[in-house]
Amino acid sequence: MHDFFFYLFSALTVLTALLVVLCPNAVNSAVFMIVSFVGTAALFLLLDAFFLAILQVLVYAGAVMVLFLFIIMLLDVERSSRVRPDVVTVVAASVAVLLLAFGMGYLFLTGHDATAATMAAVPQVPGGANPMEYATASRAFGYGLFTKYMLPFQVAGFLLLVAMVGVIVLSKRLTGSNEAGKPSAQEIRESEVSQS
Amino acid sequence: MNHSELLTQLSEQYVSTNQWCALWPEIALALLAVLVLLIDLFAGRLRARAVPFAAIAGQVVIFAVLLGKLGTCDPADSGLLFSGMILPTTLSEVMRLFFLLASILVCWLGMLYLRKQDLPRMEFYCLTLIVTAALMLLGQSSNFVMLFVALETVTIGFYILVSYGRNSIFSLEGGLKYLVLGGTSTAILLFGIVLLYGAAGDPSLPVHSGDSLNFLALEQFLAANPNNVLAKVGMVLVLCGVCFKIGAVPFQIWIPDVYQGAPTPVTAFLAVSSKAAGFIVLINLVTGPFGPMASLTVPLLSAITVVTILFGNLTALGQRNVKRVMGLSGIAHAGYLLLGIVALIQGVELAAWAVIFYLFTYLFGSFTVFGVMSHLAGPDDENQEVDHYVNLARRQPFLAGVLAIGLGSLAGIPPLAGFIGKVFLFVVAFQANLYLLLGVAILGVVISIYYYFGWMREAFFQEQTWPEGKEEQLAPIKVCLPHKVAMAALAIITVLLGIYQGGFGGGF
Repeated sequence: MHDFFFYLFSALTVLTALLVVLCPNAVNSAVFMIVSFVGTAALFLLLDAFFLAILQVLVYAGAVMVLFLFIIMLLDVERSSRVRPDVVTVVAASVAVLLLAFGMGYLFLTGHDATAATMAAVPQVPGGANPMEYATASRAFGYGLFTKYMLPFQVAGFLLLVAMVGVIVLSKRLTGSNEAGKPSAQEIRESEVSQS
Repeated sequence: MNHSELLTQLSEQYVSTNQWCALWPEIALALLAVLVLLIDLFAGRLRARAVPFAAIAGQVVIFAVLLGKLGTCDPADSGLLFSGMILPTTLSEVMRLFFLLASILVCWLGMLYLRKQDLPRMEFYCLTLIVTAALMLLGQSSNFVMLFVALETVTIGFYILVSYGRNSIFSLEGGLKYLVLGGTSTAILLFGIVLLYGAAGDPSLPVHSGDSLNFLALEQFLAANPNNVLAKVGMVLVLCGVCFKIGAVPFQIWIPDVYQGAPTPVTAFLAVSSKAAGFIVLINLVTGPFGPMASLTVPLLSAITVVTILFGNLTALGQRNVKRVMGLSGIAHAGYLLLGIVALIQGVELAAWAVIFYLFTYLFGSFTVFGVMSHLAGPDDENQEVDHYVNLARRQPFLAGVLAIGLGSLAGIPPLAGFIGKVFLFVVAFQANLYLLLGVAILGVVISIYYYFGWMREAFFQEQTWPEGKEEQLAPIKVCLPHKVAMAALAIITVLLGIYQGGFGGGF
């Protein structure tokens, strides 16, 4: 039963992820992406990682995707015209896919089979606590974040600062730009419009 | 019950290794970045001068203190840092200096660039500082979580810096291309990391680890399971992600457009710091976790080296835009450096230092050239053709002389630093018996002389081919004294490093 659900949700995730790329309509793509995220959340559930599953739904399927949809609506993307790939692209892509398939096949056929060994038991946590309960408690995430992963956590804070400064730099309206020989704000806006 | 006790106990063990003092240069840089933002907010009229001054002076102070401390204490003594996230080595200490120096020079070029542009001025320094701090962390990280977070901070900073010249369509195009391709490469890298994590954490395999993102644990795992398919695929994907950063050949497609579109100081930053970061990560990976997999990494990286050297040099031949020339020849330089990496995997210990030395010569040579480019560039920064350098020797002899030294060093002309750097790399390649790669590299150097000297010829020997009166239209190029001093210093260091290499020369 467990296996059945695993394959079901895996197939759902992969298929909808494929549809995200293949859909010509941006809104459809975004909606398929939500389904893909929900599929991933279900996989987390099967692994007993309830906290991660909820986060996946709340953060990705909820907040991030709403933002995506907002942007799509704001930009008012029309149905993009179907781009026909030229011959060179098709040939190059086919060669790449064949090479990739050959490489993977070769590796899996010659490499020794790792899946044949039986799964070992979940390692015991010292102190006799239930290991799964220990690993998936949201408190465990908090402890990890503020002890072992303190440094990456702080660096991630600066990552967000960089992103914030970047948004301001790239979208701030410039003032005092009418000196001789320099592009005026009007020209800047025009170049931005022609870019998008 | 004992649930929380256990967590407290475990966390205390981790917290005791969080030695923040070991990372004081990175923390100081981050604080400096915040300070720059605050100065911008409160300094009022003074800020146009105060911000660049604070950024450069602050970095010079950190650089001086770091240089003074270099060699006084062995980084291996400090024990476990940040639960194994950070592992300082002598190499990474030197690379910290490298990144700081590059960052100081980028801020200097940024001053030159922003003077001519109608752009937000202050955020450039803030972004440069944070990216540099992340680069310094990247060189020391010994855990894939740390590596990934630092790398992403660098990459996102670069997305913004590349599209910083938002008045220019080329800059925005470059930024978009870098965003899409950079995102793809990040996805490849992350997928590789996840596969390695999964393989090394599999409890059914020997020497599996609960902390399988740690380089040390991963090295032990790969040594015990050299034939694990998932780990092999993961390793190749991680190497692909790193190769994108250094611009090695199957992943070089972004380089010409991004280098051309990016503002000149950012082009220099990408060419020098981003590439150097890729190489320090590569050195850490092949001497650390991927060490036991030499039978796979050597042929892979050797093939990449050959194609990279040839591609970079051959495509640079036909270019007239100097920023594209710098980008495409930068691919070739990445190829020469990969030669050193392959030698390092083959067990030549000096190869790591040869790579570092070459990076330093590349830094001085490149910034010399980029300094000249910043002076010659007009308001449309992406449009810098070789033709603009015609008769530079008559119009501005100082710049022409500096340009000649920079280009000569990049081409590898004997008395200059670039020559010695290449000799060191070729010596380690010879010691590792990489004769084929050596032959390709020497061929590449010969080709590179053609386009570097073509550029120099325009500056020195080209007769005036324009109709009369065109020359008067060219604005006279003025170079202020501080900029003259800076460029002269870079050129002199380039010459001096070619003659005397200090401790570096002794090993060869």
